[in-house]
Amino acid sequence: MEGRIIVVTSGKGGVGKTTATASIGAALALEGNRVAVIDMDIGLRNLDVVLGLENRIVFNIVDIVNGRCNIRQAAIRDRRIENLFLIPASQSDNKDVLTAAGVERIAVQLKQEFDYIIMDSPAGIERGFENSVTAADEALVVCTPDVSAVRDADRVIGLLYARSITPKLIVNRIVPAMVARGDMLSHEDVMEILSIELAGLVPMDDQVVISTNTGVPLVMRNESKAGQAFRRIARRLNGEADLPVEVPGAKTGIWNRFTHKLGLRK
Amino acid sequence: MVVEDNPPVKLKGVGDGFWITLDPSMPESILKEDLVKLFERLRHLAINARVVIDIGGAKGYDGLVQNLSSFLKTRFDVGIVTTPPEKRSIPVERIRQRDLNRGWTSHRSEVLMLRGRVRSGQKIEAKKHVLITGDVNPGAQITAGGDILVMGRLLGHVHAGYPKNATAIILALDFRPSQVQIGEYVVSDLDAQKTDRVEFASVVNEGILVQDYLGVNPFGRLPWPEVV
Repeated sequence: MEGRIIVVTSGKGGVGKTTATASIGAALALEGNRVAVIDMDIGLRNLDVVLGLENRIVFNIVDIVNGRCNIRQAAIRDRRIENLFLIPASQSDNKDVLTAAGVERIAVQLKQEFDYIIMDSPAGIERGFENSVTAADEALVVCTPDVSAVRDADRVIGLLYARSITPKLIVNRIVPAMVARGDMLSHEDVMEILSIELAGLVPMDDQVVISTNTGVPLVMRNESKAGQAFRRIARRLNGEADLPVEVPGAKTGIWNRFTHKLGLRK
Repeated sequence: MVVEDNPPVKLKGVGDGFWITLDPSMPESILKEDLVKLFERLRHLAINARVVIDIGGAKGYDGLVQNLSSFLKTRFDVGIVTTPPEKRSIPVERIRQRDLNRGWTSHRSEVLMLRGRVRSGQKIEAKKHVLITGDVNPGAQITAGGDILVMGRLLGHVHAGYPKNATAIILALDFRPSQVQIGEYVVSDLDAQKTDRVEFASVVNEGILVQDYLGVNPFGRLPWPEVV
C-alpha cells in the first residue's frame, strides 16, 4: 500500500510545528507504522535536534533531490523507536535549492518506502511552504490560541484549500486555567474562526522543553500530557477517526481535585 | 385701471373643489389678503370644499403652505387642504408595471453572491453589491461598488460604495469588522462588541454610524422592491 504524505504547517513560526512533527511521527512509529519525518526547513534545521539525531547526519533532503544519495542512505534510523526515520534538512543551503518538481519526484519514492511521511514545513507561505505542500496528501495546521497565530493559520488554510488539500487542525499550547479566566482564546473561539476538522487539542506542557533539549521524543514520556495528546492525534490519523477529542482541563470533578491535592495527579 | 398680468393668487374650480395657484415668493400677508378677497366671493361654496394649494413645485415653502391651509380652514371652514399630487415618473411606473406583470425575472442583476467562509488573505472585489452567506474572517478584505451584506460573522476589512458612493451600506448578522469604509469615509478602530442584534453601517452626517438594522430598517421604507 502507498504511504501517506502529511504536511505539518502553520503560517506563523514558533507554534510547535517541529514538536508536533516529531511527536506524531514517533507516535505513529510506536503504533507499528514505518514512518519518515522530513525537515523541510532548509537552512534552519531543527527536527534532528528535537529527535536527538543531530550527530548522525550524513546526507540530507537536498542531497536526495539533487541525486547525490538515495533515500535509504539519507534516512537516519532512530535507535529508540523502531521504524522511525529522519530525513534532515540541509543547514547550509537556502530554501531556493529545492523545487516543487524535485520534491514531487522523491515523494513518489518515499510513498513506496514508508507508511507515513510527515513533513515539517517552515514558517511562512513562500517557497519553503510551497515545496512542503506540493506533494502532500493531507495537512495538519498547528495553531496556538493567539489572535496572530489564528490569523496566519486561517491564511494557510485558504492556501491549502486552494490546492484541494483538506486541512485538519491541532490547537497547541492550551492553558486551561487561562482559558477558564478568559485570558486565552478557547479552542471553541479558534474553531469559530477556522472551522475545519479538529485533529486534536494539546495542552501547554513543560515536558516539551525537556524533551526538545534532551532529544527524547515527547510521546515516550508517559507523564507528559502533551505527549499523550499527540499520541491520540496519531491514533486518529492511523484509522481511529472516532477517538473523542479530549479538552485539556475539562476534568474538574471532585475526585480529580482530591487526587490532585494529594499529589497523585498532576 | 391697471390690470395685473400675473396676480399672486389665482383660483379656479376643479371638479368638486378649488385649485389655488399662488406665487410662494410673495409675502404671506399679501397672499392672505388676496385669498380673503377670492374666498369671500365664494361665500357658502367654500364651506367643506376641497382645496388644492399649488405653488408650482417650488421647494422650501412647507411652512407657508401649512399656515395658509390652517388660515383657510379657520376663516372659511374649508374641508381638506392638500398640495397637488406628485407627478408620477413614467419610466419608474413602466418598470413597476413590468415587475408586477412578469415578476422580477426579466432583470439582470449585478449582485455577487458567494457562499462559504472568506479567510484571512483572501480578497473579494465586486463592481456592485456583494452578498455572502457565511463568515468573513479577520484579515479578509471585501471591496464593493455597492452594498456589502454578510449573512454571518463579519470580522474582516470591508469597503462598500467603492470609490465614492456614500449611500452604500454594510450589514452583518454579527457586525464586528476590523475596518469599515463607505465611499470616502473610513472608520478603523471600531471596537465593535458582540451583540445579539443585526447591525449595519451607513454614512450619517458626514460620518459612519453603526445602527441596529431592525430598529432603523433602511430598506423597509422603500415603497416597492427594486432590482439592484
